[in-house]
Amino acid sequence: MATFDVELVDIVKDFESGGNRVRAVDRVSVAIEDGEFFALLGPSGCGKTTTLRLIAGFEQPTSGRILIRGRAMEGIPAYHRPVNTVFQDYALFPHLTVEQNIMFGLQMEGVDKKDARKRALEALEQVRLLGVGKRKPHQLSGGQQQRVALARALVKQPAVLLLDEPLGALDLKLRKNMQYELKALQRDVGITFIYVTHDQEEAITMADRIAVMNEGVMLQVGTPKEIYEHPETHFVADFIGETNFIPGTLLGRDDDGYGRVKLADGTVIRAQLSHALASEALAVTVAIRPERIGIFTPLGPPDESGERHTPLNPPKALGGGIDASGVTVLDAVVADSQYIGTDTRYTLALGGEIELVARLQNVNNKDGASFEVGQRVNVHWGESNTTVLDQ
Amino acid sequence: MQAVKIVTYRFRRLQQNGFFLALPTIAWLFIFFVLPLVIVLVVSFMSRGRGGVALLPFTLQHYERAFGVFFIILRRSIGLAGMTTIVCLLVGYPLAFFISTRRRRLVQQITLFLVILPFWTNFLIRTYAWRILLGEQGTINGLLLSLGLVDEPLTLLNTQFAVLVGLVYGFLPFMVLPIFASVERFNFRYVDAAHDLGANDVRAFLRVVLPLTMPGVLAGCALVFIPSVGAFVTPDLLGGTKGLMIGNLINKQFGGSGNMPLGSALSIVMMAVVMLSLLVYVLANRRDRGA
Repeated sequence: MATFDVELVDIVKDFESGGNRVRAVDRVSVAIEDGEFFALLGPSGCGKTTTLRLIAGFEQPTSGRILIRGRAMEGIPAYHRPVNTVFQDYALFPHLTVEQNIMFGLQMEGVDKKDARKRALEALEQVRLLGVGKRKPHQLSGGQQQRVALARALVKQPAVLLLDEPLGALDLKLRKNMQYELKALQRDVGITFIYVTHDQEEAITMADRIAVMNEGVMLQVGTPKEIYEHPETHFVADFIGETNFIPGTLLGRDDDGYGRVKLADGTVIRAQLSHALASEALAVTVAIRPERIGIFTPLGPPDESGERHTPLNPPKALGGGIDASGVTVLDAVVADSQYIGTDTRYTLALGGEIELVARLQNVNNKDGASFEVGQRVNVHWGESNTTVLDQ
Repeated sequence: MQAVKIVTYRFRRLQQNGFFLALPTIAWLFIFFVLPLVIVLVVSFMSRGRGGVALLPFTLQHYERAFGVFFIILRRSIGLAGMTTIVCLLVGYPLAFFISTRRRRLVQQITLFLVILPFWTNFLIRTYAWRILLGEQGTINGLLLSLGLVDEPLTLLNTQFAVLVGLVYGFLPFMVLPIFASVERFNFRYVDAAHDLGANDVRAFLRVVLPLTMPGVLAGCALVFIPSVGAFVTPDLLGGTKGLMIGNLINKQFGGSGNMPLGSALSIVMMAVVMLSLLVYVLANRRDRGA
């Protein structure tokens, strides 16, 4: 057997609603490894929570198979599955104390009261929440409740821990702290985490691998870096981080996995082709991240020979060592500039009504990396930072 | 001078805390509730005169009788009311659960409407209908006979069983509605959580659903038990002599050849029973809230 902890094979889940069939999960297949921190990422209604509920056993798939530790889960009720869930609203039993909440699962296993209490205290220590055992859930803060929910699930020592937007209800600062804590905890206990979130930043910081879902379909599965650097679809590129999309026509494919794309103003650029790009695609989109775009001051006036020179060696100076051989340089006008603290966000107007957003870090203003609205500039990026996607 | 100041000050304060707004209600309650209650209490300690009226001197003999010869009826009343409450709970809880878990709003509304529907007809008429159903030549016996399930008609009417049926029928909505409200507010995520933690359906119900819907159960029990103890129309029409309850007994004492002091004493005893059951309700509720 492979070392997969959870395997979904061709999972389909349809819901009836008012005589209509709604497909919540559409042919999802994925294998999650033992000890992995796996994030299911997507907008609300994309089927990620349904997928989680299918694994937990709260819902039964319309078709397809779920295996946990190689064992088929068909017909096995939620209460016999080796998984535990941290619910979005925590679902702590309001009539029980914190301690009783954590002991609940152990008592269902037949652990006697004394042992259960001891293990509940250990679990509370594990989530760094001692001295609240006798309180009722509603007497705790959101962050504390979150820890109790975690302790209640972890105390059962499940093969897989399912987390349904567990940090969603917390304020930003607490959420950041909990992200690190959760990650550290996961490394500590070594349990497989399946983590549902709509927050791409959360997924990127915490997960070993991310599955991006939309409309019930699992669009792409990969490490955060793969997902960010090589999105395979328009949706993934758009959903993860900020992206510029430039429409164009694919003129031809080069042997090195790059293609030549003609933009609206007639300029031809070279860009990396996505694996998922349809082989016959002609109308395409070039995706490029705002922080991969460099800006430099325009070329000086023509000299005697009619040639124009840049005042500096811009790509090296501003772009941070991009290989000059694979650099695209285009003319642009600064249409808007927005100061956002660590960065400045420039909207750049290119020919053919193309608009690009570039983000430059405000490292050191003496470098002169500050541009005025209306200023003529050149923009540049390394070809390897681009991806050609289906339109 | 000082006295005037104090009076004006008191008057101001009464004005501020809304005493004058509550005055009509207070007067109403005093005249029609407190005063009659005091009269009943006083009468219950007086002797019986000709025609059942109350006379001096004061005596405890009515209370003696209430706990003496009439104790069997008091016990029967509490027993029947208790049974009514239990049966209503056993029937009403699943019914309320069914109604509040319907996904379609329309189904929920219709079932709820059906629960309330009997209220549209006079209670007396509905109880008479039960006489027709339960009678020796009644619908139920007719059905049983024609199906050959029994050889001769069963004695259903004028039994404690008939009273129980009538009471359950009459008070079931009072059990269903508060439980319905409780289950409606219940977050079914807790059932998921219980299942997730290894509880099967039965344990999830006993450990999570039931405790969290307990306020509805307690309210329903109080709403059924209290009027059942004092019921007199149902036992009168369906119970005959075997199903006589304390309500009937009290009713009789205020009739032509009655005994007003005895009736008063029985009323006070019945009120004490109700008060005790309310006390149980309050205590159970407080414990439930986890004080």
